[in-house]
Amino acid sequence: MILLTMIARVADGLPLAASMQEDEQSGRDLQHYQSQAKQLCRKLNAQSPNRCTLEAGVMSFHYVIEHGVCYLALCEAVFPKKLVFGYLEVLQTEFNEQHGKKVPTVSRPYSFIEFDVYIQKTKKNYIDSRARRNLGSINTELQDVQRIMVANIEEVLQRGEALSALDTKASDLSSLSKKYRSDAKYLNTRSIYAKIAAGAVFFITLIVYMRFWWI
Amino acid sequence: MPTESLIGYGAPVCVDSGSDQDGYLQGCTQVKCCPRSLYSLVNCPNFPPQLSAGPAQLSPSLSGLSLQSQTPEALRVVNLLQERNLLPLGPVTPPTPCLPQDLQKINCHPEVFRSTLTSIPQTQSLLNKAKLPLGLLLHPFKDLSQLPVVTSSTIVRCRSCRTYINPFVTFLDQRRWKCNLCYRVNDVPEEFMYNPVSRSYGEPHKRPEVQNATLEFIAPSEYMLRPPQPAVYLIVLDVSHNAVETGYLDVVCQSLLENINALPGDSRTKIGFITFDSTIHFYNLQEGLSQPQMLIVSDIEDIFLPTPDSLLVNLNECKELVQDLLRSLPQMFGKTMETQCALGPALQAAFKLLSATGGRVSVFQTQLPSLGVGALKSREDPNQRASAKDIQHLSPATDFYKKLALDCSGQQVAVDLFLLSSQYCDLASLGCISRYSAGSVYYYPSYHQQHNPAGVECFQKDLKRYLTRKIGFEAVMRIRCSKGLSIHTFHGNFFVRSTDLLSLPNVNPDAGFAVQMSIEENLVDMQSVSFQAALLYTSSKGERRIRVHTMCLPVVNSLSDIFAGADVQAITCLLASMAVDRSVTASLSDARDAMTNASIDSLTSFRTSVLTIQQPGLLAPACLRLFPLYILALLKQKAFRTGTSTRLDDRVFAMCQLKYQPLAYVMLMIHPALYRVDDLTDEGALNVSERTIPQPRVQQLSVEKLSRDGAFLMDAGSVIYLWIGRNCNPNFLTQVLGLPNYAAVPLNMNMLPELDTAESQRTRAFVGWLREQRPFFPILHVIRDESPLKASFLQNMIEDRTESALSYYEFLLHIQQQVSK
Repeated sequence: MILLTMIARVADGLPLAASMQEDEQSGRDLQHYQSQAKQLCRKLNAQSPNRCTLEAGVMSFHYVIEHGVCYLALCEAVFPKKLVFGYLEVLQTEFNEQHGKKVPTVSRPYSFIEFDVYIQKTKKNYIDSRARRNLGSINTELQDVQRIMVANIEEVLQRGEALSALDTKASDLSSLSKKYRSDAKYLNTRSIYAKIAAGAVFFITLIVYMRFWWI
Repeated sequence: MPTESLIGYGAPVCVDSGSDQDGYLQGCTQVKCCPRSLYSLVNCPNFPPQLSAGPAQLSPSLSGLSLQSQTPEALRVVNLLQERNLLPLGPVTPPTPCLPQDLQKINCHPEVFRSTLTSIPQTQSLLNKAKLPLGLLLHPFKDLSQLPVVTSSTIVRCRSCRTYINPFVTFLDQRRWKCNLCYRVNDVPEEFMYNPVSRSYGEPHKRPEVQNATLEFIAPSEYMLRPPQPAVYLIVLDVSHNAVETGYLDVVCQSLLENINALPGDSRTKIGFITFDSTIHFYNLQEGLSQPQMLIVSDIEDIFLPTPDSLLVNLNECKELVQDLLRSLPQMFGKTMETQCALGPALQAAFKLLSATGGRVSVFQTQLPSLGVGALKSREDPNQRASAKDIQHLSPATDFYKKLALDCSGQQVAVDLFLLSSQYCDLASLGCISRYSAGSVYYYPSYHQQHNPAGVECFQKDLKRYLTRKIGFEAVMRIRCSKGLSIHTFHGNFFVRSTDLLSLPNVNPDAGFAVQMSIEENLVDMQSVSFQAALLYTSSKGERRIRVHTMCLPVVNSLSDIFAGADVQAITCLLASMAVDRSVTASLSDARDAMTNASIDSLTSFRTSVLTIQQPGLLAPACLRLFPLYILALLKQKAFRTGTSTRLDDRVFAMCQLKYQPLAYVMLMIHPALYRVDDLTDEGALNVSERTIPQPRVQQLSVEKLSRDGAFLMDAGSVIYLWIGRNCNPNFLTQVLGLPNYAAVPLNMNMLPELDTAESQRTRAFVGWLREQRPFFPILHVIRDESPLKASFLQNMIEDRTESALSYYEFLLHIQQQVSK
């Protein structure tokens, strides 16, 4: 099931078109994913990988970046990846053809909201299992789908936070290792003392033994 | 207009004019006096009667010394008992706030934003002393011919109170501006320094945002919780036997067929249909079907959607199927014998269908719902209509409709109700579905295809306007006002989501709103205060827009200035809304008394606190001279009248309209305009786009003004009457009506023939011009003495005495009695 589709300009994250699959069950918690999708579009930049799957709990975000436009879809994690990327690919071709030239100049959000009609139709084809069989031709082009990078949505959204977490963890680690070092030193000296003490006891017994036995 | 000052006359004229109207005086005692007033009063016993002796306060005495030039026209003292003809020649114009010229020039248009007092009192105690209500009247989504639209990535707003930048802010320097509502100093963003209109840099005060009091912003994506919704329309039709009998289905389907391409929307527009009698019928209109499929759900206890995906379809792609359905629908139920009607479950189904997207539900209902949830029982006893002491059943019988409306509001669904019926339908209960979901209510009493052709035409025209007018979806409106003022009560159709946020699932250009205000903190050392209404909505083209109106008003500290700035029409409309609330929460007689007291109290206050020299008579400032007349008109209005047989639904509908209609239409409802039209001339005519429109003067609403040898046109807002006198000028009959003589005037004539004569052209130009003034289509009734509609024409003659109500003169005497007590 493709729950949410969003098309945005990569340069500034401006949403260009969107489509929401809303029904009574999913409608409630979709708001959360909607805002995640918005955030994600703002985080993406020219350096981001062109194709990526981001895991978000039971859902996954899949996106394709082409000609400075990001095509993003939200599906259940179990939904075949191949199909989603096939779907995004189709959207990309059609959108680029219809509106590609106008993308850099628009300033109003959702300027191409009418593209929604096409999105919904395409989506129906991909969701309907009977229609899926006819899409074999498109799917073959996506043999390399297995190589698409997989990451976690939290990681991408909170990449900044993750780094600082790593930093604190590292400093924690170094302080811990310092403590370990001093503890080890202490243990070492203790064991040396113990060895010396053991040797001394041995020699004393030996002397005492020799003295009383041999004499 | 002749301006006579009182001092010059001085004689107790009221006795003279009273003597020849002895018959009137008997009626005076009927009016009860009740000390309650509509607005709560704070006692301030030690308040000095006069605050300051400004020049305005000396006005009566000065005018006596023929120094009238110093008196503002609004404060000219009028003795209402003496001056009979108070109506201005043309329409009543709203007062202009006393602001510096340059500010007033850009102030918000009074048709959009109006205050009951154009001069805001400095303190609450001063306001209490004036005994006038303080409030705002808004028409925020009015169709405007000129509206600046601003697209910018950042919308400049105050950081603490979120006010939009507006013409009344002050720029401290090029980099900082001071908010006119909370007085916080904000930075001017870099982007704002550039003026896109003049393409120059460094002139923030010349930006369109600072030059226009009314403008629209294209909202950036921060203003959207979800992608803008498409335009979604759902038509819910009653198809029980009673409904088919009225023949309304033909009209609805025909109108939809004609206007299907004019429905506001884009390529995403969706449409769906539900019909209901004792069961609910859905229509599968999925692309690819050869004809529409009807799906019947008979389990009305637990309603479900048979095929959720294909009931709401894309209008452009499935247009042929939709047209098919509309063509066949009227015949489909031709032979139905089902008399029951399950409106409640049908509404639940509609809510389920639209809850995913939001949108507009149009419900057509012809009888009392009798099955399933929300079933109602008749609560009206027709025999009690005229005699009942107090009107019962003005409040809803069940809270089902209100609850459902609130659910709808949460999912951005608005429900518009069209009630076409001949019997009692309990509009008081049904109306809740529209009231809380920000819909509108239309009511066509005694609707029938054959028996009521005028009603059919009116329904057709209204439907055309309804289907094609502008619409805004998923809207919210917030009204802000300067620090010190606070808004406490809202009137109109909406749901108040948080303290000051109105949730409007739909907003239409014919909706008006009113708010009541109080002064929380003293407005000392403030020259002016501002009010801002911001309406955020999604247009039918999927754009998120914000329409912002800002109004600035001066602050005054003397009672005479407050009276000078009183806007009598706005006061009347606000009082009407308050009185509707009062009749529902308390009783109708309470509301009537409160309205009478409002006029008595304000005139008493004027007499005791503003006038320095006491004279006999009933004295009012010129700006309030129409106040008693309007109050009397309200008391005789369908909503509030007693003694006359009024159907409960008619009354409740009138109440809905008083609360929901914008000021201009409410005023015509309350006080219709009467013109003499048999002698129209081009003298003083208006010239509008090369048409000459004669401007006859407005007559008083009294039978005394009608003469048998004339023809009179009464414009009552939603209806226009043309009364033909028995000895009417034969020239008028032949040249305008195309009839040989008076006897030939048909009883149900609803239009003027297009004759090629100067008289006909003038009359038609005038009627056409009146119709252009409003978005709905008023029906023209040509009536003569024998016409059945003559009674409703004469009921509008509010200055005359009726069996159960006072004449204007009696009413004035009653007020005078109370004022001079």
